[in-house]
Amino acid sequence: MNKLTLRLKEQPTVPLEAEVLSPDTFAELSNEEIRSKTVYHGKRQCRLDDFFDVDGERSDDVEIHGDLHRVRWIGREMSRGRITVHGSVGMHLGAYMKGGEIEVHGNASDWIGAEMRNGLIRVHGNGGGQIGAGYRGSLKGMRGGTIIVDGSAGLEVGMRMRRGMIVLGGPAKDFTGLQMKGGTIVLLAGAEIRTGAWMMRGTIISLKPIQMMPTFSYACRYTPDVLRVYSRRLKELGVSLPYAPQDGAYKLYSGDASVPGKGEILVWDALSA
Amino acid sequence: MLRITGGKVYDPANGIDGEVRDLFVSEGKFVASAEEGRTIDATGMIVFPGGVDVHTHVAGGAINFARAMTPEDHRRTQAFIRSQSRRSGIGGMAPTTFATGYLYAGMGWTTVNEAAVPVLSARHTHEELSDIPIVDKSTLTLMANNEIMLDLMEKGEYERAKNVVAWYIWAAKSYGVKAVNPGGVAAWKWGKDAKQLTSPIEGFTRLTPGDIISQLARICHELGLPHPLHLHCNNLGAPGNISTTLDTLNHLDGHRAHIAHSQYHAYGGDDWDEMRSETAQLAEYFNTHPNVTTDAGAVLFGDTVTITADGPWQHLLYKLTGRKWGNLDVENETGCGIVPYTYRPSNLVNAIQWSVGLELLLLIKNPWQVFLSTDHPNGGCFWRYPEIIQLLMCADFRTECLKKLPDKIKERITLPELTREYTLYEIATSMSAGPARALGLHHKGNLGLGCDADIVIYEEDKDVARMFGHPRYVIKGGEVVIEEGDIRATPDGHEYISRPHYAPDTDEFLRPLFEDCYTMQFENYPVEMERIEKPAIHDCVPNS
Amino acid sequence: MYWGGNPAECHPRHFTKYALMPKSKFLPRGRKDRTAVLVDIRPTKSAKAADIFLQVRPGKDFELITILRALIKDQKVSEEAVAETGITLEQCTDLIERMKKAKFGCVFFGMGLSMTRGKHMNSAALLTLAAEMNAFTKFVAMPMRGHGNVTGADVIMRWQTGYPFGITFNRGYPRYNPGEFSTVDVLVRGDADAAFIIGADPGATMPQPAIDHLARIPTIVLDPHVTHTSNLAKVHITTAPAGIAAPGTAYRMDEIPLPLKPALKSPYPTDEEVVRRIKQAIVKKPFWMPEGAQMTAAQV
Ligand SMILES: [Zn+2]
Repeated sequence: MNKLTLRLKEQPTVPLEAEVLSPDTFAELSNEEIRSKTVYHGKRQCRLDDFFDVDGERSDDVEIHGDLHRVRWIGREMSRGRITVHGSVGMHLGAYMKGGEIEVHGNASDWIGAEMRNGLIRVHGNGGGQIGAGYRGSLKGMRGGTIIVDGSAGLEVGMRMRRGMIVLGGPAKDFTGLQMKGGTIVLLAGAEIRTGAWMMRGTIISLKPIQMMPTFSYACRYTPDVLRVYSRRLKELGVSLPYAPQDGAYKLYSGDASVPGKGEILVWDALSA
Repeated sequence: MLRITGGKVYDPANGIDGEVRDLFVSEGKFVASAEEGRTIDATGMIVFPGGVDVHTHVAGGAINFARAMTPEDHRRTQAFIRSQSRRSGIGGMAPTTFATGYLYAGMGWTTVNEAAVPVLSARHTHEELSDIPIVDKSTLTLMANNEIMLDLMEKGEYERAKNVVAWYIWAAKSYGVKAVNPGGVAAWKWGKDAKQLTSPIEGFTRLTPGDIISQLARICHELGLPHPLHLHCNNLGAPGNISTTLDTLNHLDGHRAHIAHSQYHAYGGDDWDEMRSETAQLAEYFNTHPNVTTDAGAVLFGDTVTITADGPWQHLLYKLTGRKWGNLDVENETGCGIVPYTYRPSNLVNAIQWSVGLELLLLIKNPWQVFLSTDHPNGGCFWRYPEIIQLLMCADFRTECLKKLPDKIKERITLPELTREYTLYEIATSMSAGPARALGLHHKGNLGLGCDADIVIYEEDKDVARMFGHPRYVIKGGEVVIEEGDIRATPDGHEYISRPHYAPDTDEFLRPLFEDCYTMQFENYPVEMERIEKPAIHDCVPNS
Repeated sequence: MYWGGNPAECHPRHFTKYALMPKSKFLPRGRKDRTAVLVDIRPTKSAKAADIFLQVRPGKDFELITILRALIKDQKVSEEAVAETGITLEQCTDLIERMKKAKFGCVFFGMGLSMTRGKHMNSAALLTLAAEMNAFTKFVAMPMRGHGNVTGADVIMRWQTGYPFGITFNRGYPRYNPGEFSTVDVLVRGDADAAFIIGADPGATMPQPAIDHLARIPTIVLDPHVTHTSNLAKVHITTAPAGIAAPGTAYRMDEIPLPLKPALKSPYPTDEEVVRRIKQAIVKKPFWMPEGAQMTAAQV
């Protein structure tokens, strides 16, 4: 299928809510129909082409260029196709996503893949807070799919997540895996404090030592078989997870006893060379 | 002026059952004739008096707490987008104030009774009510756990207690008295409940829930309140509570009363596994006691948020659901709990509750005694009333719904045996004329001359839920407020207030107690009349 | 229990009128019939009023509360892990025993808890602990709010919009997301192109980037006094001080509404009057939203 290319021509002065930036919207529309789609510049309703040059039509392969840090809700609820962004994006990237792929060559903001169900989101720069989280009041965060952020992340990553996987290349701030109910978070560069707080179930894997909540207790040092499976899957995404016994093993901590929960935190413990 | 011509009129207050009649309105009231003004041609349409909700929770500290607790529901529910005639808001389980008015009016309800107001925060409730447009409103004051009144009852000072109740009603600028789990909410301050009507209440030596019920029923009668004691019985929601409910009714000593949401009080069995419907027993009581009314408190499957002054029950529900829980204690007056809840057809207890609500509506023979309600939002949201009407009018539809329930339910309920179908006349009674009469609002739910011109006009439709959910016209006080699904006008409603008589020395009696018990100054306590938007005061004539 | 608050200096009547001293039917000896606990990072003046003072290490409140939540459920927590909070396991066990034995437990928490690292999760922790304590005895928790009528704003926003704060109306109906729509975040990111401020002085309290943005955009302030914010505003309308010269309602921090009865007359209009007049002027302009607009797509 041909590619649909959008270029930001006018920097919004206040946040631009543009949930129409989704393969689901564009797949069946002509160029003119795409141009006339509504975006919300603050309280003003504008046409998409007030802000973007649009090249191509009827495509679910979408490429967007420009500094989109004020543009929110890109790929919201998308279920198919691909969005590639060359530049940084604003909040709620791929929120409620059901399928397809998003790749951002730049930074993203808070609520990446919030409450998503399926699909893949990859951010090559830094992410914000509440990645894969449940919105305020929701009982569940992401329910499936994969989010990979090469850079750092903010607070409450994976808050109340139920299933799926989040991989962070850079360090995360506080409350990673807060009230987690399932799924997996992989921290290649560790996290600040309160990781796994109030966890019920699910797994957090950290390759760097992290500060443990007092309500987690050390269980044993081993490498569960499932690591091998994760490692193979992550390899396809260009992330390597150690599991070979000659390199080291994982220290398993379980908690959070305050719930009381059956969550697991695995911290890589390398054999010194 | 307004003329409504050619419609089939259902006006139970005047015994009119589907006759084609013309109605004339002038200055908000029905008149014998009108020459000028707009004519609505209602030929082939159905004309009802506007709906009256005898028991709902739409304003005040508790529902407002529920709103804050459920942002996840606000996100997924109906949004009310601001227009030039309409303010913005949110529908759903606990609608915002403006949306509440639009939603009630949108389905033809024009009067609502907010059934649980603590005096201490009554000022808040009135401020919220003035932000609920279109509908007329009244409020009931929570009395059955007020420590000052309980102390007086414990000491046997009945006359003084009566004066104090009257004083509180006027201080709260309310319309009547609500009793919730008498003694049980006071006991909840100790983390306890009051389940036995004849056992002393925690914190008291002699006083029992039964004493409170008998005395409050008598007080309401003697004060000459337009609405009798509005009673939420002890032991709400518990298996086997039918015995408590029947015992409660016996404690009325022949006085009138309105039993709130009786669905929650008609269960047999000793525990959750054994729970069953006992509606036959309860309906029998109503069928032989025409001076007692009730509302169904029907349950509909789906998400809602439960709100009740019944604190101990809410703590139990929190433990059962493991979800969110809010608790408010209102000093020495009352308290309340808030728990979001989902009624599921696959859950045996929920399925029985669904059936019990409908059974009561069908087994209580006289629609002047049993009214449409879900105890909004406890059993379901008020904007789902059309679904209940459909269940009452269509036995086939009930049979269809029953098929989706667990098989085990069959020996626990009686609904499958009930073939009764409500007529339009009976629906008009249960949703309007009946509750209006029970509330003592004689100019409501009544299309007779001189009454308030609150009218709802439906286009006849085989799909009953659609017909009642989407009236063609709604007229409030003679003004067309809804037309073809659009809000045309949003006038402010009246607030009904009762002024019962009390001894002049009641102020001086209460002042020192107040300084002892309350954290607020005595002078700041009563709600000032200027704060009520469009008050309509009913001066009570005492009965001896 | 007071946690991260200093009522002796910040809410002086809280002890005497509300929580500690009053004599009552079931506590006839007032203060003597109560046990008071203070948890804070330093012994403030309030510590003198408490029977037990627990000095928690700064930034360890969340950990300590989470430990208490585990301990009330008879879960094991290691002595060393507990000690890192600055409180010993023994102190925790003793506290829990007293809490469980109480007839009615009440926790008030201040900004020492809710505005330090962890913020809303610190409050959530304490609220959860109080909720869970009800498995043993009656327990409640309540925030000690800051200045003025912040509770009133919160209460009214809730009944009109369903949300307490952090609300946007840009799609024609209320949406909520603290962090995205809360004032301080909106200003820090520079998301607003105008500001209208009533009864607050963000110029004195907010972080510098937020203040800088207020100075950049047209800022309008309604305030009886000259304030930091009014100094950087494009427009300052002097209004009558609420409660002193303007009537209304204030909501106490337990959400009890109190009438404001003005003692003085002011030559200036009330806030309400000014807003009403601005609104009347706006109504004359063309309505901002296109007829039949489809606004509801975003769920947050
Ligand atoms: Zn109720």
